[in-house]
Amino acid sequence: MSSKKILLTGTVLAMIGLIWLGAVYWMSFFWVSTEVTQGIAQRIMYVHVPAAWTSFLAFGLAALFSAVYLWLRDERLDRAAVSAAEGGMVFATIMLTTGPLWGKIAWGTYWTWEPRLTLTLLLWFIFLGYFLVRSSTENPEKGKRHAAVVAIVGALDIPFIHLSVIWFRSLHPEPVVIKAEGPTLPGDMLTTLLMSLGAFTVLFLGLFLLRYSLENLRSELDTRSRHASV
Amino acid sequence: MNRNQILCSLVTGISFLIGPIMLSAQEISELPGAQLATQGLGRPYWHVFIAYAIAIGIVFFWVVSIGRRLSQIEKKIGN
Repeated sequence: MSSKKILLTGTVLAMIGLIWLGAVYWMSFFWVSTEVTQGIAQRIMYVHVPAAWTSFLAFGLAALFSAVYLWLRDERLDRAAVSAAEGGMVFATIMLTTGPLWGKIAWGTYWTWEPRLTLTLLLWFIFLGYFLVRSSTENPEKGKRHAAVVAIVGALDIPFIHLSVIWFRSLHPEPVVIKAEGPTLPGDMLTTLLMSLGAFTVLFLGLFLLRYSLENLRSELDTRSRHASV
Repeated sequence: MNRNQILCSLVTGISFLIGPIMLSAQEISELPGAQLATQGLGRPYWHVFIAYAIAIGIVFFWVVSIGRRLSQIEKKIGN
């Protein structure tokens, strides 16, 4: 796929994602029914849960690209990994800021050091470390290799985040969609949540492709400047 | 007195007895302390609006950031 095609596909997907997200906002405020016990505060779920899912997808992709990069040493894989990791940080930040707002109403506190929250914050810091490691070495190749290892280690945290609410005593609610006996949400709430998951995923894929195009152009610029200096 | 008349008398008597109690209960429910018993749907509106604003704000920030970096690189490559 050529750079122009990637740029165009990214732009189209991002536009679709943004329009789709607008529709999700409308559904969340005017269409979906209000939950009985938590009232309107429960609607935070329609941004919090999809942001969590998208960040896990992004960090998972970053780890996958990093693992294959360590094996094949193809620069394109490193560029894809850093693009996915940046997206992961963006959506993880949304998850970590909307969650406490919901927690304040549901639990009476913005933050508590319970397993899922602590492991999620740890994931955010590991990927912050990913960017620091990349830029901290004088040899860029070495930085990329070390960062790839950090991304793989970080992604190992994701299954623990998902299972922590089942394994440990936790304030955080257990999964309501991905569970053995199927989703337990009422129909309209499940529809809104799945619509939001779709919007966040498409938006991420679009912006990931745009970010990847940016890395390709940077690489092209680097190559040109190296040739010019020779 | 037939059965219907007895029944009507009983219902009227009970209504007169319960009426004042129900009215006083309505007055009590309008006191500030009784608000705890009402469903608090309006309570956390601002939390929801802030959460939705943060979500769209961060996404918008990332879109603008990518756009700016792309245009800068394209300018450099163009030169």
